[in-house]
Amino acid sequence: MRIRSLSLENFRNYIRLEMEWPEQPVLLVGGNAQGKTSLLEAIYYLATGRSPLTGMDRQLINWTAEQEGLSYARLRTEVVGRHQVREIEMVLSVSPNANGIPRLQKSIRVDRRPQRLRDLTGCLNVVLFLPQDVELVAGPPAGRRDYLDATLSQVDRTYAAALETYGETLRERNALLRHLAEEGGDPAQLDPLDERLARSGVVVAQGRHRLVGELSRHAGPFHAELTGGQEWLRLEYHPNFDPASPPALTYQRPLLVEPGGLPPGVSLEDLERAFLQRLRQRRREEIERGMTLTGPHRDEVRFRVGDVDLGLFGSRGQQRTAVLALKMAQLAWMQEIAGEDPILLLDEVLAELDEARRAALLSLVDRVEQAILTATDPEMFSLAFRQRAALFRVEGGIIRPCERAV
Amino acid sequence: MSALPPSVLRLIETFSELPGIGPKTASRLTFFLLRGESDLALRLAQALQNLKTQTRLCSICYNITEQDPCLICSDPQRDRTTICVVEEPLDVVAIERTEHYRGLYHVLHGALAPMEGVFAEHLRIAELLRRVESGEVREVILATNPTSEGDYTAAYLLAKLRPLSVRVTRLGRGLPVGGDLEYADQITLTNALEGRREL
Ligand SMILES: [Zn+2]
Repeated sequence: MRIRSLSLENFRNYIRLEMEWPEQPVLLVGGNAQGKTSLLEAIYYLATGRSPLTGMDRQLINWTAEQEGLSYARLRTEVVGRHQVREIEMVLSVSPNANGIPRLQKSIRVDRRPQRLRDLTGCLNVVLFLPQDVELVAGPPAGRRDYLDATLSQVDRTYAAALETYGETLRERNALLRHLAEEGGDPAQLDPLDERLARSGVVVAQGRHRLVGELSRHAGPFHAELTGGQEWLRLEYHPNFDPASPPALTYQRPLLVEPGGLPPGVSLEDLERAFLQRLRQRRREEIERGMTLTGPHRDEVRFRVGDVDLGLFGSRGQQRTAVLALKMAQLAWMQEIAGEDPILLLDEVLAELDEARRAALLSLVDRVEQAILTATDPEMFSLAFRQRAALFRVEGGIIRPCERAV
Repeated sequence: MSALPPSVLRLIETFSELPGIGPKTASRLTFFLLRGESDLALRLAQALQNLKTQTRLCSICYNITEQDPCLICSDPQRDRTTICVVEEPLDVVAIERTEHYRGLYHVLHGALAPMEGVFAEHLRIAELLRRVESGEVREVILATNPTSEGDYTAAYLLAKLRPLSVRVTRLGRGLPVGGDLEYADQITLTNALEGRREL
């Protein structure tokens, strides 16, 4: 798929942008903080409903506009898919709620009809690669969970719905546990939330299990190629709660279960029941501590080469190569499962790679229908690449086509 | 220093405390009353006063009423074996409009919403259980909103009612998911009442 047009209003430093996108790869050139990354962020936001850079959506609204009382941002794009053209629009606005506290509201429209977050699934698929993605390997586990969630939600509607339910239920349940810890009350109020948590939680855990298996399957060969056959990357999923094997064990041995498969003779209902049972067992402890202690919000994923955990013992260079292999795997998997090319969004990532890895990354550009790249220094790209790409200069939230190759 | 006299300012400020009313609307309403026909402001004042002094909650169903028990609870024609549990007084109005329900009501005054700090002890749940325990009641219809909070509340109530050997039902499908009962049209609501299913 590809995007045909993009318009932004009060998004980051774009007061107003109307852009038609050419068919060839796009190279956005400009200095730091001019808006190159924000443009990729906008496209990612339209695809997933979240920013890869901030958890506070309010920061996406242009600051000057907000000072002038225009507390909203609008994003719109036309996506040309294999079978149809869709228009996605998102509006972020800040307005006071019933208690007068300013709240951020997010409205989503697909083809001008209001939709929920989960309805975005399949509308616009992207693979984004940012320089800071190297943190995926060694950074905190929340980053890896978010990555899995964003990747799955783009193509799996059931997963997107379960994830939304799980997140809401978890927040409600934690609020209730805190209340029970501090003020007391009827613990039976937990029961309906436990059931909802278990029902959505097993879908989330199974989805991640399947995805990690798939990514691992694709990343292995890519990684071997990138390292001249020296190293074979493997991703391991360590669910916080796995009824098939207690958590203490999963850290010591990789999962034996086939990717996507349940252990023989185990159904989703069995998992749900086991999850519920665990919640009941730990209820007293959870009330004491005022939070939910079991569930996929505590899952972990590890990157391994042989016996080496790259997050703990990998060099910076190894971690960078692992992330590159991961993104290549994501692209291949999304193509396979969606039957369509995702849009490739590469932000400044060439700078930190050597010649061979640069070539591997740029070869991805030829495997997709649309690729959008950014660079402070266009010299990073070969002349041949610059000549076939469409070059744009980004300056202070304004984008202009470059007359000739720079 | 404001160019407006304190009595005008005070009304603007008071209006602003209402949900959904910002300073602009508050000023507009204030000046409308100031300029408008002379007895409108006085009628409004009287109505506001009566709202608090003349009304109370019915000691049986907790609906808003001017006499206790309320008109519905004291009506000998109503079926006392059925209780319809709703979130808000306006839901009673909506169901009464269908003219298809002859039982009594129970108003919870909200729904379980942990994120908003609303828990079981803040709702009229203990009062409902006491009503059911005291005998007469054979069916409890859970008519909380078809929202995630309404469903949560219904599930909690079901667990509490189950040991009391009473029939518990939930409004049938057809109500717009995520919507409020009070906005449902009469036909939809009638169908939901008649299509209620046993839990
Ligand atoms: Zn009454």
